[in-house]
Amino acid sequence: MPIKIHRKRNKKLSKKERIQKEVSTFNIPDEMLSDSLKENVEQMKKVTGNSSDLKIRELKGNDFVNLTAVYIDGLVNNQFINEFIIETIFNNIEPYPDLEENKEDLFERIYAEVVASGEVQKFSNWKSVLQELMGGSTVLLVDGISTALVVDTRGGETRSVEEPGSQVSIRGPRDGFTESIQTNISLIRRRIQNPNLWVETMKIGKVTQTSVAMMYLNGIANEEIVNEVRKRLKSIDIDSILESGYIEQLIEDQTMTTFPTLFHTERPDSTAGNILEGRIAIIVDGTPFVLIAPAIFIQFFQAVEDYYARFDIATSIRFLRVLTFTISLVAPALYIAVTTFHQEMVPTRLIIAISAQRDAVPFPAFVEALLMEITFEILREAGIRLPRAVGSTVSIVGALVIGQAAVQAGIVSPAMVIIVSITAIASFSTPSYAIAISARLIRFLFMLSAATFGVYGIALVFIFMLVHLCSLRSFGVPYMAPIAPLSPSNLGDTIVRFPIWAFTQRPRLIGNKNNKREGPHQKPGPPQSRSLKTTADDQGDTS
Amino acid sequence: MIRKLQKLLVPVLSVLLLSGCWSKKELNDLALVSAIGLDKNEKGKYVGSFQIVNPGNVVGGENTGGGSKSPPVTVYTAEGNNLVGVSRNASAHVSRILYYAHTNIVVIGEEIAREEGIMKLLDALDRDPNFRITTTIVIAHDATAEQLINTLTPIDKIPANKILKMLRSTEKSSGEHLEIKTSDVLEALVTKGKEPVVTGIRATGGKIGMEMENIQRTEPSSAIEANGIAIFKAGKLIDWAHGRSARGIVWVLNRIKEADVSVDWNNEKDSIVFEVIRQNTKVTPIIKNGDPEINIHVEVEGDIGEMQTAADLNNPETIKKIEEKINKQIKNEVEKGIAKAQENKSDIFGFGDSFHNNYPNEWKKYENEWNDTYFPELKVNVTVQSFIRRTGLRTKPFLSNTK
Repeated sequence: MPIKIHRKRNKKLSKKERIQKEVSTFNIPDEMLSDSLKENVEQMKKVTGNSSDLKIRELKGNDFVNLTAVYIDGLVNNQFINEFIIETIFNNIEPYPDLEENKEDLFERIYAEVVASGEVQKFSNWKSVLQELMGGSTVLLVDGISTALVVDTRGGETRSVEEPGSQVSIRGPRDGFTESIQTNISLIRRRIQNPNLWVETMKIGKVTQTSVAMMYLNGIANEEIVNEVRKRLKSIDIDSILESGYIEQLIEDQTMTTFPTLFHTERPDSTAGNILEGRIAIIVDGTPFVLIAPAIFIQFFQAVEDYYARFDIATSIRFLRVLTFTISLVAPALYIAVTTFHQEMVPTRLIIAISAQRDAVPFPAFVEALLMEITFEILREAGIRLPRAVGSTVSIVGALVIGQAAVQAGIVSPAMVIIVSITAIASFSTPSYAIAISARLIRFLFMLSAATFGVYGIALVFIFMLVHLCSLRSFGVPYMAPIAPLSPSNLGDTIVRFPIWAFTQRPRLIGNKNNKREGPHQKPGPPQSRSLKTTADDQGDTS
Repeated sequence: MIRKLQKLLVPVLSVLLLSGCWSKKELNDLALVSAIGLDKNEKGKYVGSFQIVNPGNVVGGENTGGGSKSPPVTVYTAEGNNLVGVSRNASAHVSRILYYAHTNIVVIGEEIAREEGIMKLLDALDRDPNFRITTTIVIAHDATAEQLINTLTPIDKIPANKILKMLRSTEKSSGEHLEIKTSDVLEALVTKGKEPVVTGIRATGGKIGMEMENIQRTEPSSAIEANGIAIFKAGKLIDWAHGRSARGIVWVLNRIKEADVSVDWNNEKDSIVFEVIRQNTKVTPIIKNGDPEINIHVEVEGDIGEMQTAADLNNPETIKKIEEKINKQIKNEVEKGIAKAQENKSDIFGFGDSFHNNYPNEWKKYENEWNDTYFPELKVNVTVQSFIRRTGLRTKPFLSNTK
């Protein structure tokens, strides 16, 4: 036995090493550029495998110097290259006296005077040059100089700013994040025009070299959390990051949970609001979904519109959301419990009505509920995956199969159809898809325990769920804050939403540095004196 | 983590799988008993009639096609030496488990109530965890419980519901009947100085009530109606109170919600109707010269509902006079009710209990002979204070204008 264990461990180690090796082969050897233009161009071709989108433009003016511009087609702004690099070089460089001796001088002139771009950098090692090239920059190589000029020419096709698809609001800004990290950062910056809005960018992904930006308000965000986020991002060692979901799964506190411990959004206004509360936005290049850390449970019930609508309306809608979340969790379970264990709980007339419907059904209530729930889940999944042209077929088949035929065939009872429909609609009314999806899973656990223990079982699972929720943390912040641990001054933005003029403090557990949010006496009201009104009227009359 | 989870999984799975749906009962394995009837047959055995709902025939959905041919309830009868035995024996007839949580009515046959009393019957009802002691209890007047349980009713398809709703509405609007719960009876039975009252119901017509034809007619050949209040003594039915004396009892019990009180005017009998909208009756025990006495004060408020004679309601004096007449009328009713109880030597009002509460020392003297010696001789002083709140939409009746 011990030998076996030993061997197993050995094997494990070697596997780990192999992975390490595989990842490192993608690393570009950190070599310096040569001073021969030809050699450099050849090296570049070799490294990129002479890819067809690598464009090499040789500039041989009046036979004075050999210059070559290299860029990747599609990633660059072609017009910019033509106008501000190639054209200016042609126009501004005359035959240079004693070219051979003054090469350095010429190179400096090109760097300082000729290239009309906001960002020109000098690099002499291949790693940086190639990285910039792949990011959309143009590399200018001069014969006889072992340094490359890297001009920022990023451009090419990106999606324009559109209304976000996943978080729609009736009132509020219409812009949503795009796949471009620059656009996304600028969308946030436009909302918070403050030098304290700090951005830290890093490349994550050994192969993909994806740009990931951390954005936070210096002086409001809790430094410990900022450091923690930075530390976790830096420690990611993976080949690729294709969506912010990769990052989310690699930096979350607790993996054994169905509840999301990072919030994600497509809306710049929501992101700005969260940054202002002291949270940190993690923006990943290539996806419109921005991560927000730390996240708390109640945040998933907050829609941006809550803050744009007046507080009485916002509060009642919050209540409704918590109610619908509960419905989507326990409605089928409660139906099972009541019809198989607690028939005495239902009013006589109702139990007779349910009993009449269930008479023809051949399955126990639990099987019936499970059947319907699974059918619904299949329909939902199929509805998402199907191409839009075929999508309506699903709803027709679904409505007919679930709604009518199943009832008429006596396989399910109409009451069950109502329960499943209410559950489905309730789960769609949760503003965050992430939390709705976790409710979807837990619902089956509730159903199982309801079928075993009745309402007692529902209570048990509910207690388990609450204990689990209280045990969760997001970047060290308790998930159920500000309810557990109780922070009375922050309760104004939980199930109720206080008026904006009563939001005097920022969430205490998230940004602990500067909690004051607004000055005193923010509650608006009618003018203090009546004379104010009359004078205004008088002025109006005289004019 | 994984190992921890594996450890956790063992108890969780065994709890879920080994318990195996503990005390699970599927809805379609239950027979919903809507009413129970209790009688005794000539062999001296208990006979239980169980009115079981046929859910499919009650709910007139699209699929059932509205007017179904089969009855909304089925009655099974079984006999036994005790109530649990009856219930168990009934399982020989019924395909499902008898489920008592939705039993709304318990009907006790008059014969069994008179001869054996209700004491023995109530223990099984009180003890059963499914049966609710808030269930309404009634006495079958001039009939066996089985007959009543068997009668089909129109409008409210389940006869038990019909009885329940009928009792509630008649208690509310006429005040001559009461909805008495099993727990009320139990409480009155165990309280010294209080005896239970139970409303009686009877079925008009004969056995015809159990045919579907009964509810297919505009005037059912057999209908269930509330009829009188049964007065008990020592757990046995001894007498019935009807009409005014029944309402007198309800007044004293402070359970009148709405009622109609008619008074004579201009020498025309019952020509002005006073509709009670709210009332409060206070019962105060006093001891005067060593003898127990009861003061009853009724405060009543209501509207004029009908006038079949001429009277000037604009005149406060007239209103005052009418009020005085109403006072007299109500006083009369209350005294009638009390007389009925005194003549049966049964303290259904709980006067004894109020003495027990207010004069615990003196009560010890009365305690054992209360019903037979003190209660029948008890002096009861009734005062009524009525108030006419509104006179309806008219002040002067038509009749004052006719030539």
